[in-house]
Amino acid sequence: MNAVDPIIKIEHVNKYFGTFKALDDVSLNVNTGEKVVVLGPSGSGKSTLLRSINRLETINSGTISINGRDINSPTEDINRVRMELGMVFQSFNLFRHKTVLENLTLAPIKLKKMPKKEAEKLGMSLLEKVDIPERANHYPIQLSGGQQQRVAIARALAMEPKIMLFDEPTSALDPEMINEVLDVMIALAREGMTMVVVTHEMGFAREVADHVVFMDQGAVVEKSTPEVFFNQPQHQRSKMFLEQIL
Amino acid sequence: MSDQETTKIEIGDGAAIPSPEDRGLVSAWWIALLGTVSLLIILPLVKPDPYLRILKFVPDGILVTFKVTVFSILLAIVIGLLTGLGRISKNRLINMAASLYVEVVRGIPLLVQLFYIYFALGRIVRVPDIVAAIVAMAFCYGAYMGEVFRAGIKSIDFGQTEASLSLGFNQRQTMAYVILPQAWRTILPPVGNEFIALLKDTSLVSILAVSDILRRGREFAAESFNYFETYTMIALIYLLITLVLSKLISIMEHRLSHYERR
Repeated sequence: MNAVDPIIKIEHVNKYFGTFKALDDVSLNVNTGEKVVVLGPSGSGKSTLLRSINRLETINSGTISINGRDINSPTEDINRVRMELGMVFQSFNLFRHKTVLENLTLAPIKLKKMPKKEAEKLGMSLLEKVDIPERANHYPIQLSGGQQQRVAIARALAMEPKIMLFDEPTSALDPEMINEVLDVMIALAREGMTMVVVTHEMGFAREVADHVVFMDQGAVVEKSTPEVFFNQPQHQRSKMFLEQIL
Repeated sequence: MSDQETTKIEIGDGAAIPSPEDRGLVSAWWIALLGTVSLLIILPLVKPDPYLRILKFVPDGILVTFKVTVFSILLAIVIGLLTGLGRISKNRLINMAASLYVEVVRGIPLLVQLFYIYFALGRIVRVPDIVAAIVAMAFCYGAYMGEVFRAGIKSIDFGQTEASLSLGFNQRQTMAYVILPQAWRTILPPVGNEFIALLKDTSLVSILAVSDILRRGREFAAESFNYFETYTMIALIYLLITLVLSKLISIMEHRLSHYERR
């Protein structure tokens, strides 16, 4: 397939929760290596959109393709697609019965049949990367929120995904722990990872995003570079949103 | 955030399993144990006839009681796991079948089920009495166990499932690697309770010509007419067994919770 094709291709997606329209004709492309930050008021559908990308939410119409593969097609093995999509959740969701290192090695060992030794080596190098190797043999409950979230990022990276999805990764953290997580995400962005990030961290959006996507009431209102979005928002609703938060 | 409370499943049946924090229950456990052991030693010493004779006659039955209990609980756990999974299944047919099984079993007294399965089974195949008893006990307890498994699985935060799916695990792998290992901790105390309750309920199989503790006691009493003394010893033996078991389960439960401690 063509190298300039977007790695994530979202076309005319609609999604309802009962009668509530959560996603309203959303179309969005993300290219390889691109960092897209999705902003918007709560209930605007940004988390739903993100969760639709790895089919944790099923959509009612439209198509979502990852690497040219329609993820909602019945012939597509969603588990294969998900292996290429790392996901980081607001509430970390580390496996509570596994140590930090076991959290990282479980999926490579079971899904990629990686030998245990090799998986542990990979796991330790990722823990170095998120700056928490000394906690390898602790259980998640023994870690602070910021530490847990860094481990969660490392766990997703252990599957060597092509794309990383972040669903409000710092929203559940105490203020003093937000930066340690953002630093890891910034480092990841510098390495060229394709990232879609739902967040309220405007500083992160300004610094890292290639594009900012602003959503409201289930629809994409604006897609701009951070310079344009934060300095001359193109839309009345974007302007109102920025006035409210800044 | 995300430090979800560990859910306790309360089932008001069977012996109370003392938790180390529950001081009242722990000291009650010690008093009961000491009392039971002393009576079991002193009575045969002071009055060998009939107490010592009873103590010599009944132990064959203890083995049978244990056999019925262990095989029934193992079978009930398998049935319970399948029933619990069936009850949370999105497949309507499986879900309906599992729910129907639970409803039917819970609505019929255990003693009636025992008779029913014993004689129904007897019409189809010839199996030893003890096998019929085990099948009947497991059939009944499997339904209760199914509810325990269902509650245990549902007590695990859905975020755990989502994290597992997002890594590429399918539903079955998620259940096996992520949910059940965690649910087991929540499930163990009620399973322990069910185990003890089942052990006591095995006394019902004595009516099916299975020579358990109670059956042996009844045989002894019928011959010697020492009804009061015999049932005293029988009660003490059951009490000793359940006291020791409840302690063992409490220790196991404590061991299993290692990852919940900071």
